[in-house]
Amino acid sequence: MTALGPAGDGMRGRPQADPASAMHLNESSLIPGDRETLAAWKIAFFGAIALTVALPLLRPHPFLEILAFVPEGLTATFTVTLASIGLALVLGLLAGLGRIARTTVINRIATVYVEVVRGIPLLVQLFYIYYALGPLLHLNGLLSAIAALSICYGAYLAEIFRAGLQSIPKGQMEAALALGLSRTQALWRVILPQTIRVILPPIGNEFIALLKDSSLVSILAVSDLLRRGREYASTTFDYLEAYTVVALIYLIMTLFFSRLVGLLEERMRTHGRQHH
Amino acid sequence: MTLLRKARLALAALTLAALPLLAAQPRLVFGSDCTFPPMEMVDAHKQLVGFDIDLIHAVARAAGFEAVVKNTAWDGIFAGLAAGDYDAVLSSVTITPERARTLDFSSPYLEAGQVLIVPQGLNGLTTLGQFGGKKVGAQIGTTGALEVGKHRDITLKAYDEAGLAVEDLYVGRIDAVVLDSPTARNYVLRNERYKSRLKIVGTPFTDEHYGIAVKKGNQKALDLINRGLDAIRKDGTLARLVHKWLD
Repeated sequence: MTALGPAGDGMRGRPQADPASAMHLNESSLIPGDRETLAAWKIAFFGAIALTVALPLLRPHPFLEILAFVPEGLTATFTVTLASIGLALVLGLLAGLGRIARTTVINRIATVYVEVVRGIPLLVQLFYIYYALGPLLHLNGLLSAIAALSICYGAYLAEIFRAGLQSIPKGQMEAALALGLSRTQALWRVILPQTIRVILPPIGNEFIALLKDSSLVSILAVSDLLRRGREYASTTFDYLEAYTVVALIYLIMTLFFSRLVGLLEERMRTHGRQHH
Repeated sequence: MTLLRKARLALAALTLAALPLLAAQPRLVFGSDCTFPPMEMVDAHKQLVGFDIDLIHAVARAAGFEAVVKNTAWDGIFAGLAAGDYDAVLSSVTITPERARTLDFSSPYLEAGQVLIVPQGLNGLTTLGQFGGKKVGAQIGTTGALEVGKHRDITLKAYDEAGLAVEDLYVGRIDAVVLDSPTARNYVLRNERYKSRLKIVGTPFTDEHYGIAVKKGNQKALDLINRGLDAIRKDGTLARLVHKWLD
């Protein structure tokens, strides 16, 4: 990381001028303890896994059948989630940079995009792209789902990128320019690396939110996890059992990823501190 | 004081007199997925209309009960019945042995086999068995979806509403739609947009009848409904409704 030390932002003598570590300092001092969260996470995560294993053992019918039927939808859920988060990150970064751009046209385009997309519910966007624009675009269900989720989350991520970029003290850019870097170089080598550390937790949260929202694509007859559960329940009427399994699988996935984000965040924090 | 007492007495007498009347008019609530024209749908004035709606009001008149129709989503409609959100499901429900295990059905009131809707230009394919390797749409949890599901080589696309499946066929994302014949006819023959692009092929390939479903063991509601159905079958009302909505 080429991030400049505290000296660079003109606040000599303040050891924790870096906003990322400052934020974490506040977080850990305000919330009673990471230990409490971790304990709760363990109960939820291992409880969900234990239930997923125990239910089919105790009641093979219908739980074993559901477990055989439903996970086929995981492929669709993962394809949609991963493709969408990838595209949304690109869109979000571009729009986020656009939001702080000094060129009025770029700034206007990015801001209008964010405002319009954030103002329309995701479910409506899905219907719009698939059914309303269907005769024009001819996108299949999976592509429509990816397009709608990317556009929607691109706008959310743009705001996170913008806030992250703006949280880096002005002195960093000034110092980088003073050292002879161009504006673009300063942005890529000095500002963005620091931004990533700040925005990683909220981006992780958006990823988890996107994973959950991907269940909305079942409305487009895409056979995702939820749709498979609904298809099973619609013929057997085992609503309680089918949706319990669907909920458990979603829960295991989101808890797994939230822990992953947490670990990454911790590593970033300790890694960042070594510089000071 | 005496005046008040008199008034109270009069009120009590009135209530007593009205009681048998009220008791004679029980209220039954019917759950219906009103996205299934011409059987049940929402018109331009936000009113629930359709064959089933007319039918149940005629049945209610004949059997002496008050019928209230509640619009609900198809997916989960039987769970709503189990949960007590309504007393019966009136939603073009096909009577099947599987459903009869968990529900009680009224006497059948309409024949409604499954038919295939395909694009106008498609020739030579007239039975579901010929659609191997193709995508066929149906509404989730319907007998149409069950029929498609029996063919392992066909990709079933299960939609929340029958109309969404027909729209996807119109756009060209699927190859056929399996639908109850009354609704299929309504989409293909009465809809200006679909009329020129879609057609129905073959004859109904299943022997199906619609019935009104109640919770297992709700004999009281079932008797009322069956009594009304018998009456409108005999006096020609049912035939008139078929003529009004389905011919």
